[in-house]
Amino acid sequence: MSEKKQQVSRRQFLNYTLTGVGGFMAAGMLVPMLRMAVDPVLQPSTAGDYANVGLSVDDITDTPQRVDWKVDQVDGWYESKVSRSAWVFKDDKNEILALSPVCTHLGCVVSWEGSDNYPNEFFCPCHNGRYEKDGTNIPGTPPLAPLHVYDQKVENGILYLGDAKPR
Amino acid sequence: MKYSSNHMEQYIPAKEFVDTIIIPLIPFHFSADAEMKKLAFQAEVATIFAGEIEKELSGRVMLIPPYYYVKPLEQEVEVKRLNTWVQNMETQPFTNFIFLTFDPAWKKCEKDLTGNLLWFPSIQSGDVHASETHHLITDQVAQVSELIRSFW
Ligand code: FES
Repeated sequence: MSEKKQQVSRRQFLNYTLTGVGGFMAAGMLVPMLRMAVDPVLQPSTAGDYANVGLSVDDITDTPQRVDWKVDQVDGWYESKVSRSAWVFKDDKNEILALSPVCTHLGCVVSWEGSDNYPNEFFCPCHNGRYEKDGTNIPGTPPLAPLHVYDQKVENGILYLGDAKPR
Repeated sequence: MKYSSNHMEQYIPAKEFVDTIIIPLIPFHFSADAEMKKLAFQAEVATIFAGEIEKELSGRVMLIPPYYYVKPLEQEVEVKRLNTWVQNMETQPFTNFIFLTFDPAWKKCEKDLTGNLLWFPSIQSGDVHASETHHLITDQVAQVSELIRSFW
């Protein structure tokens, strides 16, 4: 009798295995879907992370220099490396200031002394936007807000930059 | 700015500031195995290249979807079609039309195009993710942005 109980017919066997495999496949499909739905909330966002921008504090002078680095960014559909840049220098109080080069008017990239006519200023080539050295927008030029400032920290003499924030 | 819904939202109220259109001209073909990889690579580079230029000058340029065509270039047909694109865009206050390409064939019909053709020698092959490619592109982007600014 016990023998009979243990017997599994061919059909049953196939049924079991197929349900098993099917279940696996369904799980395989569901898990990423669930993850897509839930993940953005759970994932510790890369925001707030600091990146080593490859500049030692000793090399920072009072002349703004441009640094470029890359961060991982998950942007909805794409996960990609995006490049970031900053203008880094020491201000009057000898404190490090890292300004975002993105013009607050419409987003072109500004450069330090980008125009010969305006020494000692940041200049935006797109619509002649101008900013003081500390990033303050110069009234009468298109930008209506100062350049954003990067969060920063120094570890072992190396500069780390985080997110650029409006002031 | 790029052809995306959020950039369009930004564009519409700021129209008067955006006067330059950038159109990448990208060839492709599937008729000779030997060339396919090279062309695909160049297409990738062209796309990245155009994207980087847009980033530098995003407040004043509009990067539109690339113009793809089958190589070899059929001058008459393509020029005509491309000019209808420009005509359409001229209904907005754009005044500069810049065509970016790695394909020297366009040089021969440059004068028939409504706009400025910028032709560049392409990197022949390689890996778009390699750092050398990256440097080459960044260098070229800086120079080309400079060139585009000279039209303003
Ligand atoms: S984007 Fe900088 S002044 Fe307009």
